[in-house]
Amino acid sequence: MTEVVTYREALAESMHNALERNDNSVIFGQGVDDFKGTFGTTLGLAEKFGAQRVQDVPIIEEGITGICMGAAMNGLRPIHVHIRADFLFLALNQVLNMAAKYKYMFAGHHEVPIFIRAVVGRSWGQGAQHSQSPQSLLSHFPGLKVIMPSSSQSILESYDYLLNDYHSPVVSLEHRLMYDLNFDVDRAGLRKGEQSLASYVARQGSDITIVATSIMVLEALRAAKHLEAFGIQCEVIDLHCTSDITEEVVLASVEKTGRLLVADTSWLKFGTCAEVARLVCENIPHRLKAPMKSVGMVPTPCPTAKALEDLYYPNLQTLVSDILEVLGESSSSIQLPDEKSMADVYKKFRGPF
Amino acid sequence: MTNSNNYEALYRQALLIRRVEEEIIRLYPSDKVQSPVHLSIGQEAVAVGLCSLLKPEDRMFATYRSHAFYLAKGGDLNAMMAELFGKVDGCCGGKGGSMHLAYPQVGFMGTSAVVASGIPNAVGNAYANKILGKSDLTLSVFGDGATEEGVYHESLNFASLHQLPIIFICENNQFAVHTRLQARQSYAIREHVQSYGIDTFHIKEGYDFCAVQTQFAQMLESYRENPRPLFIEIDTCRYMEHVGPGEDFYGGYRDESEQAEWRANDPLLTDLQTYEALLPAVNQLIENSVAFAEASPFPTITDLYQDVY
Ligand SMILES: Cc1ncc(C[n+]2csc(CCOP(=O)(O)OP(=O)(O)O)c2C)c(N)n1
Repeated sequence: MTEVVTYREALAESMHNALERNDNSVIFGQGVDDFKGTFGTTLGLAEKFGAQRVQDVPIIEEGITGICMGAAMNGLRPIHVHIRADFLFLALNQVLNMAAKYKYMFAGHHEVPIFIRAVVGRSWGQGAQHSQSPQSLLSHFPGLKVIMPSSSQSILESYDYLLNDYHSPVVSLEHRLMYDLNFDVDRAGLRKGEQSLASYVARQGSDITIVATSIMVLEALRAAKHLEAFGIQCEVIDLHCTSDITEEVVLASVEKTGRLLVADTSWLKFGTCAEVARLVCENIPHRLKAPMKSVGMVPTPCPTAKALEDLYYPNLQTLVSDILEVLGESSSSIQLPDEKSMADVYKKFRGPF
Repeated sequence: MTNSNNYEALYRQALLIRRVEEEIIRLYPSDKVQSPVHLSIGQEAVAVGLCSLLKPEDRMFATYRSHAFYLAKGGDLNAMMAELFGKVDGCCGGKGGSMHLAYPQVGFMGTSAVVASGIPNAVGNAYANKILGKSDLTLSVFGDGATEEGVYHESLNFASLHQLPIIFICENNQFAVHTRLQARQSYAIREHVQSYGIDTFHIKEGYDFCAVQTQFAQMLESYRENPRPLFIEIDTCRYMEHVGPGEDFYGGYRDESEQAEWRANDPLLTDLQTYEALLPAVNQLIENSVAFAEASPFPTITDLYQDVY
């Protein structure tokens, strides 16, 4: 039995449940108690659980992060929300030098259960400072868990675990373009505990492995669907927890297909794509039948103009064409989709934010 | 310039800004402007009054809410409209958009969409002026919310420590997104600035470009006598929603009546005679700018890769 739950609803439910289950859970963030309620994911919570537990904060990203950390060392379980991941950059000192280190540096004297939600913007002219997706930066640092939920199911299961039973710092990179999308949720099938963070096969296939993150999982599934009509079976893996990739899942798939494409929501250099390549090259380099390919943003800051944005981000056409290249198939025999703007597809997302 | 000429010139500039933003609102549903827009409607007089006394060499660093400052500082209207349309003839070739306008030819250096992040850049510009012996001014423009960020404090400290030739302009519209100042700040903005040894001023009539101009002229005089960091807080009022083309009174975080007094003093709403007299020429300029933006080509893949390094 499945039910339809939007990404936004899954987030709202997770926030609600965190406050309901733990009296010591608190939500901090600019505008978390206002009439927009963090794109609808914290609406009504201040009214229900009290202003102390759902707190609007001054524009002090680094300060609040450190404050969350101190509160976490003294029994609270703070959730800190950034409406754009770019604003989290101001707090990197507290996240990387402090929160990610305190358990280890003090040999386990302290636990720092802070949960940071940061929304990745895309399209509608978000531009260079409202669109960045810092998973590779954050996943580089031991001590930090970084997740990139690509579905409502993924949100429900991993937030449930991380907000209740996990006790170290977490950053969840949510994708703004997915907020309005409907997903089927199978409540009986929700993964539990550490399992909820595992990378998993989102679609089985035998010809090529596509490892993807966040919204690129949806793009990979759409590409797989297109290619199915031509007899090509893509296996799609949702990496999900980029800081702790479930290596077996990726390696087993590449063993099977012998071909690999990695599709990420950020730049390629030093990124998720590079990390997956490292994994494969260190373990099963001989199993690759062809050079792998990486798909992500072009190596420039994000331009605002839609005409440039459409060239900056991958689209279904370039993705399918890259898959065909790895497969050694010529695109003259297989029709490419004519879709050149992903932003047009996820149309429900319309400005200003 | 006689007084009435001056009034008319300022009025015309304020009217142009308002009408440009009203045109953006009108165009928004057509999806020609595909980016967040932070409108200055209600706040125009601040930019107009201040910029009327600046030279192109005086440099300004501002924020995502800068249509008004861009135009008042002398930024080209056609280039701004084309920028909003995402076209090659935009002031940043379409790469910046509404949140990232720049027109350095007239000293409008650029706008950052990360709150307070442009403030230290302005301080650095002033530092260079001092080292290089240039007499030009530097202006750092930001909102009341920006004063909460750590980097603002760091910047004030450095500016004062080195007695830099800079003027900090705080546009106080009382809100950061939907949150009132009282809910965010335990300090009084000017008092706090004074603790850094920086002289502060307060302009209460942020709706009146003439009042802003007159008072700023006195402050500039004080500055010229003794070049040093100054801080000016200017009260103002944002009529529209924080971001986007609409109003947001439905949101319940503020009431339309709070703006009644402000609107009652707004020359663009009260002096209809001047409004009507200047409107046709202003509208023509805007119409031309939209035509210019429409006619300008979209940027291409070559543009995409330019200026990374
Ligand atoms: C570092 C950072 N944090 C949060 C935001 C989101 N944000 C955009 S504008 C704004 C409010 C700023 O208020 P203020 O400085 O008073 O300027 P105003 O918008 O009123 O002109 C916030 C919090 C941001 N852009 N950058």
